Order: sequence, then C-alpha cells, then structure tokens
Amino acid sequence: MSNAVAKPASWVPKGDLQKEISAEKMLLELPRELQFITGSEAAREAIKRANIDCAISYPITPQSETMQQAGYLFDEGYIKEYYRGEEEIGVMSAIAGASRAGVRALTATSGPGLMRGMEAISSWPGARVTPVLLNMCRVINTPLAIQPDNIEMSFILNTGMIMLHAENQQDFFDYTIAACEVTEHVDVTLPAMVSVDGFFVTHARGPVSIPSDEYKLNRRDGWKNAVPAMDNENPPARISRDAPIQKSNFISYHMHASWQQEVFAAVERSAKYFDVLLKGRVEVINPEAEEFIIASGSAVSQAREAIRQEGENGRTVGLVKVKTIRPFPSAQIIAAVKNAKRILIPEFNQAGWLHKEVCSALYGKCKAEIVNGPRVYGGMTMPTEMILEWLQKTRKDFA
Amino acid sequence: MFTQKNLILTRSNPCGQGGYQFLYKIGHYGVSLGSKPQEEIQQIHWEADVIRYTSETPLTYEVCHTTELASKTLKFLNDSTLNEFLEKAFEYFKELGSLEKMLPEE
Repeated sequence: MSNAVAKPASWVPKGDLQKEISAEKMLLELPRELQFITGSEAAREAIKRANIDCAISYPITPQSETMQQAGYLFDEGYIKEYYRGEEEIGVMSAIAGASRAGVRALTATSGPGLMRGMEAISSWPGARVTPVLLNMCRVINTPLAIQPDNIEMSFILNTGMIMLHAENQQDFFDYTIAACEVTEHVDVTLPAMVSVDGFFVTHARGPVSIPSDEYKLNRRDGWKNAVPAMDNENPPARISRDAPIQKSNFISYHMHASWQQEVFAAVERSAKYFDVLLKGRVEVINPEAEEFIIASGSAVSQAREAIRQEGENGRTVGLVKVKTIRPFPSAQIIAAVKNAKRILIPEFNQAGWLHKEVCSALYGKCKAEIVNGPRVYGGMTMPTEMILEWLQKTRKDFA
Repeated sequence: MFTQKNLILTRSNPCGQGGYQFLYKIGHYGVSLGSKPQEEIQQIHWEADVIRYTSETPLTYEVCHTTELASKTLKFLNDSTLNEFLEKAFEYFKELGSLEKMLPEE
C-alpha cells in the first residue's frame, strides 16, 4: 500500500521512542514550550503526539499542507501506516475500515472534499468507528473559491459526529489531541471532526504552547470500544452487523431509531471528557455583562479584540466562546448569558448555523435580543470594526 | 521564537485577514509587528512598522516612517533578524525618549 523508501535494518521508528501518556497528562500537566507556528504545523505537532496508527490523505486546498506534513511524520516513524487515497469517498471509507479494525485513524479535508466524502462520513457514527477528521474550512458553493467559510460544518451537525471548532493554532493542537482520546472511550466510541477556519489559521503563524515530543498518547485499545474491533484477518462472512435492520418491517425501524438514539446519547456522554481536557466547553469573559458576543472558530479572535476595545471605552461586553459544537454546551451558554439583554453572533458563513443553535438553546430560557449577525462569507474578512459597528447599532435598535 | 520583551498587546490581525499583530512599547514609541497568512508556508514573513503611540487608553498609535530606524514597512523572513531589529529598536526608543524629554514643551 505505502510507497515508503526501504529503511535500513537499524532504523527505529521515532514513534517507538516516545513514552505513552494520557491526554489529560499531555494537555494539563506536562510543561510546554512556546512556538510560533502555522495551524498546519500545529496539526502536525498534534499528530506527532497522537500515536496515530493509520493516516490516509487526499489533497485539497487549504488542507493539503497538513497531510503533506503527516507524510513526513510517517517517513520518520511517528505514523505507522500512511497512503494517499483515490478521492474523498475512498479516503473516508478506507479510514472507517482502518478504525473498524481497531487502530487509531486520522484524515483531513476541506469544504468540497468534505462534501464529496459525506456519504461515507455520515455512516461513521452509526458504525461506531472512531476516526478523527481534521477539517480546514473552505467555501463549498459556486463560484469556486478557496477562502475560509465554515458553512460545511452545518452539514455535519446532525450526523452524530463529535464536532470541535478551533479558534486558533493553539486550539487546533489541543483539540486534536483531546479528540483522539475522547472518541475512543467505551461510553463514547464515535468519530470526531476538529474544524478550523482555513487560511486565517492554517496558513498563518500564531503562538502555540506545546509539550515535548518525547511523549505520545496511549495507544488505542480497539477491544474496549462499544463496538469491538473487527478481526480483518478473519472477517465475518457478512459485514453488516445486524441483517434485520436492513429489512423493511416494524422491528427494523425500531432498531434503527434506538440505534440513532444511542449515537446521540453517546455524543452527550463525551461532554464530561471535554469538560476536563478543554477546561470547559465554553470560555466566558466578562460574565457580568449585559451585552454578549457568542462565537466559535476564528470569529472568537475578532470578538476578543472588539470587547477589548469596548473595555477601553468603558463598556463591558461579554464573550462566550463555544469550543464543542457537538456536544453543544446549551446549559453552559444559558448560564453564561442569564443577565444578557443583547446577544450578537458573528459567523463566517451565510447560513448562520451557530445563530440557529444558540436560538434553539436559549428559546424560553433567556430574555435577551439575539441578533442574527454579523456574518461574512465566501472568504470575506471580518474586521474588528464590523463587530464594533454591529454592537453600536444593536444598542440603538434594542435600547 | 521572537522576543516577548516590551510586548504589550497580542491580538488577532484587526483587519480580519487572519494572523496576528503584536505591539511593542517603549515610552511613546514602539513597533507594530504583523504576520499574515500566505499560500506557501515559506512565504510567511514579518512586517514591522515603527509606531508612535498617541494614546494609552484607548490604545492608539500612528505609523511613524520618519525615524532613523525605518522609513518604510520592514520585512523580516526569520525570527533571528527580527529580534536583532527589535533589540536595536528598543535601545533607539530609549535614547529617543531621553532626547525628547530634553526638548522644551510645546
């Protein structure tokens, strides 16, 4: 499968020299060193420490850089198996097969690649496989563009995937490490997608504190998952787990419904692990504020600067950063904005999927006016001034 | 890694194009340091401007291309040449501050 150049007999994979530890120890206890690296490089550093058994790539801008880096890691022996697939349906199907065989599997894609792989990706949660998908968000709709726009995340919301949205290079490192472990807990056993806004983060440098690469995550134990690994050396005659589910009768509908319920319950069960590893699924700044911004991804960075500037002018504006999109931290958001009178939801997409999620969570539980914006899309930028202008306008409209 | 000395603010690039801006300050002067996204990692570079602060709260500044340090936006390709410039700038700003104190107030 692999096109690796033969190594000398004395070659030792560098991954074999790393010491295995838990994600909790790696993220919360080990000392860290500050580096100034791109989002793609932050992903590489996470993959290096994630004890990945199998990575499968297919290039697409702006993701290509990351899986190219993964190729170098394979060459150095940090990843055990790596190859380039034919296209995204093939990659997303193959990575599920690798995960089903009990190994830790990782791939990455962007916008249109995610759309092409959707048929396979949407089958992952129900199959209870645990691959981690790094998603560098990119425009998906015509006219063609390669700029950041995270509308593709809205297509994953109801698949049963765990979804994390990284604000910056640091988050992309931390969230990838966390996802690789949380997906494999026996009461979770689900795939995860770690998204980051393409170019703005993947192709720009930012400060990232990372622990030593002498350590890597504990290896996956496929037998401890909710659906045990399949022995691919002796595959079952029929791959389908439960034939009756494919028959059209009352029992099959009933089984399918309960199966889906279990998938979405497992998503919620993952929350307790992220609460620890990410130090909460939301970050709240200025909790006493009456005006709030709720955001995820790189919109958080722009919002941070907006509230800093508002602070300089004597106005307190709160911020809720949403780290996990699935499981959605409804209770934490409700608690954070209990005193809010006005809420802004800046987003990098046309659909306003976060706005819809927040409205669903806060319906009947919050008296604040929830403003549908500001939003930019198609690769547009969101200058800090745009958020400041919206705050000003909102104050006038809902005085 | 670039120096963290005299660094007073780290923020996402306010123009919203991604990347970061770092503001250094010594007295009334300082350096605005920016790093924006590039299609190729090798093309990522630093852009440095000498700035003069016009207010501390709110923090405002104007680009100052009239010092002996730089008459334009400077481009640095790596952290070591950048740090060299920053160290030189910090010393220069200290001297400039001392000299400005000697001037009669307008």
